[in-house]
Amino acid sequence: MLRFLLQRGGQALVAVFGVVTLVFFIQRLTGDPVLLLVPETATEQDIEAMRATLGLDRPMGVQYLEFLFDMLRFDLGRSFVQNAPVWDILVSRIPQTLQLAAGALTVALLIGLPLGLIMALTRGRAVSRIIMGGVLAFQSLPTFWSGIMMILVFGVWLKWLPPSGIGTFGHLVMPSIALGLLSLATYARIMRSAVIDELGKDYVRSARARGVGTGRLVRRHLLRNASIPVISITALELSQLLAGAVIVETVFAWPGLGLLTVQSIASRDFMVVQAVVLLGAFVTIAANLAADILYTVVDPRVRLTGKS
Amino acid sequence: MRPLTGLLTGVALAVLALPAFARDLTIDLTGEPSSLDPHMQWNPDSYYVYRNIFDNVVTRDNDGEIVPQIATEWEYAGDTELVLTIREGVTFHDGTPLTAEDVAFSVNRIIDPEFGSPQLGQFNQIEMAEVMDGNKVKLTTKGPYPALMAQLVKLSVVPQHIVEEIGKDAFNLAPVGSGPYSFDEWNRGVSVTLAKNDGYWGQEGPFDTATFRAVPDAATRIADLQAGAADLVVGLDSDGAMQLTGNPAVKTLSTPTERVAFMGMNLDKPPFSDPELRRAASLAIDSVAIAEGLLGAGEVPMAQLSSPAHFGYAEGIAPYDYDPEQAAEIVAGKAELAATPATFATAPVFDQRVVQALQQMLNDVGFDISISMTDMPTYLAAARAPDRAERPELNFGRWSCACQDADGIAYPLLHSGSSWSRVNRADLDALLEEARTSLDENVRLAAYEKVHQIVRDDYLVRPIYQAAVLYGARAELEFEPTANESMFLNRMSWSE
Repeated sequence: MLRFLLQRGGQALVAVFGVVTLVFFIQRLTGDPVLLLVPETATEQDIEAMRATLGLDRPMGVQYLEFLFDMLRFDLGRSFVQNAPVWDILVSRIPQTLQLAAGALTVALLIGLPLGLIMALTRGRAVSRIIMGGVLAFQSLPTFWSGIMMILVFGVWLKWLPPSGIGTFGHLVMPSIALGLLSLATYARIMRSAVIDELGKDYVRSARARGVGTGRLVRRHLLRNASIPVISITALELSQLLAGAVIVETVFAWPGLGLLTVQSIASRDFMVVQAVVLLGAFVTIAANLAADILYTVVDPRVRLTGKS
Repeated sequence: MRPLTGLLTGVALAVLALPAFARDLTIDLTGEPSSLDPHMQWNPDSYYVYRNIFDNVVTRDNDGEIVPQIATEWEYAGDTELVLTIREGVTFHDGTPLTAEDVAFSVNRIIDPEFGSPQLGQFNQIEMAEVMDGNKVKLTTKGPYPALMAQLVKLSVVPQHIVEEIGKDAFNLAPVGSGPYSFDEWNRGVSVTLAKNDGYWGQEGPFDTATFRAVPDAATRIADLQAGAADLVVGLDSDGAMQLTGNPAVKTLSTPTERVAFMGMNLDKPPFSDPELRRAASLAIDSVAIAEGLLGAGEVPMAQLSSPAHFGYAEGIAPYDYDPEQAAEIVAGKAELAATPATFATAPVFDQRVVQALQQMLNDVGFDISISMTDMPTYLAAARAPDRAERPELNFGRWSCACQDADGIAYPLLHSGSSWSRVNRADLDALLEEARTSLDENVRLAAYEKVHQIVRDDYLVRPIYQAAVLYGARAELEFEPTANESMFLNRMSWSE
C-alpha cells in the first residue's frame, strides 16, 4: 500500500513540475507584458525602465530558477497589473468559485440523477427518448448563449432574478443552472447506463421474482450500486466545472477564478495566470490522486494489480 | 406561499425597487480597477473610480478648458519653471489639510523612476517639484514644455503623511484623497464603493454612495441597465445602443473622444513606399462610410492626426477625397508594384469591422492586402520593430495621449526619433520640435497646421476618424460625457 502511494504521489509531483515549467515558458513566449503596461506613446527608454523595474530584463534562466524556488516556498509573486500579492488575489476569488461549483453540482445532481433513473426505468419508451433529447440539447447549448438568454428572460423581462453580480441567493441561481447544465447531461447519461447495467443483473431478477416492487428495488439496491460510477465521475467533473466557470463567470460578472483568468490573460498579468493555471492543475492532479486512493479502499483488486 | 416562490418574489421586488433608491448610483464598468493608487496603473476602469477619490492639480471643465482644481493659479517664472498656487482650505478625507508639501510630494513620487509608475512617460519632462514660501509649488521642466498644464490635468494629489506611513500596497487598498467621494469598500473582483464626502470644498456629489462594478460582458451590462440593476454602463457599441432604443427608461449618451483612428503605412517598403500608391490607397478609403455608416456611435471623419478636442487642431485641413475609380486607375498604372503582397497588422482590441472594411476598400482598387491578427503585445512589438523594414506594411491604431494636445499623437507617429514613426523628414522633425518646445500658442498652432498639411499632402499616415465613446444610462440620470472619458460623479445629477 505504501509503495503504491509513493508511486502515485511521485507521478503527481512530476506532473505538477511539468505544468509549472510549461506555464512559465509558454506564457513568456506569447508576448511582452511591458508593452501593455505603459501608454502607447511611451518611448523606448520608458519601456526599458519599466522592464527593469519588474525584473523582466534578466535572463530567462535566472527568472525561471527564481520562479521554481518561489514555488517551493509557496510564494506566488506579485501581480504587475493589480499591484498586489498574487496569493491575496487568488484567496479573494476562491470562495466565489467554490460557491458557484457547489451550486452547479447541486443543480446537476438533483436534476441529472432522477432524469437518468427515469430514462433507465422507461427505456425503450417515448418518455425516455424525449428526456434523452432534452438532455442532449442541454449538453449542446453553449453556456455563453444559454447564460445570456436566461439573463434576458429572468433578469430583464420577468425581473425575477438579478441579471448579474453576487450578493444574494438569487444571484447564484442563474449562473449555477448555466454551469450545471453541462454536468447535468453527463450525470443523467451515466446514471442511465449504470441503472440499466444493474437491471440486467441476476439479483434484480431474483428480487423481482420474490415480488419486490420497483420503488423498493430502486431505493434498496439500484441507487446504491449505481452510485459508484457517479462518485468517480465527480472527480472528473470538478475540472470540467473549473473550465466552464471561465465562460459562465464572464457572462454573469461572477467574480471567481474563471473571470480572474480571462481578465489576467487579457492584461498579460503573468503572475496571476500562472497561479490560476497551477491551482487548476493542482486541483485536477489531487482529485485524481484521491480517486486512485479511494479505488484501493473500495476495490482491493486495484491495489494488487496497480491499475485503476 | 412556498419558500422558493417567496424568495424569488422578494428578489424580484428588490430588483424592481432599485431605481426608487435614487440617492445611490451603480455603474457597470468592463473590469475592476487595476489600482486605486492614482500614481500606479492608468486605464479607464481605474481612473473612472479614482478620479472621484482624488483631486487633480488642475482639471478640464465639460467644454474641455483647463480650469483650477487644487492649483488656483499658475504662472511661468521662466521657460522651464511653472509656479502653482495651492488652494487653501482643502482637507483630505482623514481631516488633514492638503498642503503645498502634498502637491510637491505627489509630483516627485510619480516622476521617480524607482517608483515605477506606468504613467512615468506622461510626466518625465518634469525634473522636480519644490515648495516655495507658503502655498506655492515650483515645477521645473527639462526644457520648455508647453503640454505641462495638459499633463497636470491627470496628476492626482495624494496625502504625503498617509502614503509614507502605510506604504504603497496598503494605500492602494485603502486610498485617502481629497475628492468629492471617499473610498468606502473594495470588494475584490466585484465592486468598489465610494461614499459622498460631505465636507468637499467644491461642488458636492448628488449620490450618497456610488458603486462601480466589474461586468466584462457587454450583453450583461445592457441587461443590467434594462433590468434596473445598473444606472450607468460603459463600453457600448452602436449595436448595443440599438437594443436600448424604444425603452423609455434608458438612454444612450455619446461624445467624440480625443482618440484618433488612423492607418499607418510603412514608407520603407513597397507598395506604400511609392507616394502615388499611397495617394491611391487614400482615395480608396471612404472615411465617412466608416465613421458614420459602419460605426455610427458618434465618430467623426478626420483628415489630421488630431481632433477638435486637441490643442493644435487646424481648421483649414481639407477632408480626404474619396474616389475609388481614380484610385483603381493609379493602381492599374503601377500594377506590378501595387500587387506586392502587404500585411495589415491588427490586434483584437481594435474594431475588426474597420480593419476588414479598410482591407476590402484597398483590395477593391487592386491592392493585395491580407490581415494579420495577433495578440496585443505581439502587434505592438511588430509595429515598432527596431528595424523599420520588418514592420508590417499597414497597421491600424486608435490613439489617445490623454493630454488633448496635438503633440501627444503627432510627435510619436511622425518624428524620426520616435520608435513608432515611419517618417524620416527633416522639415517635419523641425516643426514638431518647434511646437513641442515653444510656449507661444500661436507659434505652436502655426507649426501644427503645417505638420497636418504635410501629412495630408504627402499621405504619410492616413487619419480616418475621431473615435466616440458610448454610454448607456437611466433616462433620469444627467451626465455629460467628456472627450477625456472621465466620469466625475459630482458633475452628474438626477433629473427628477
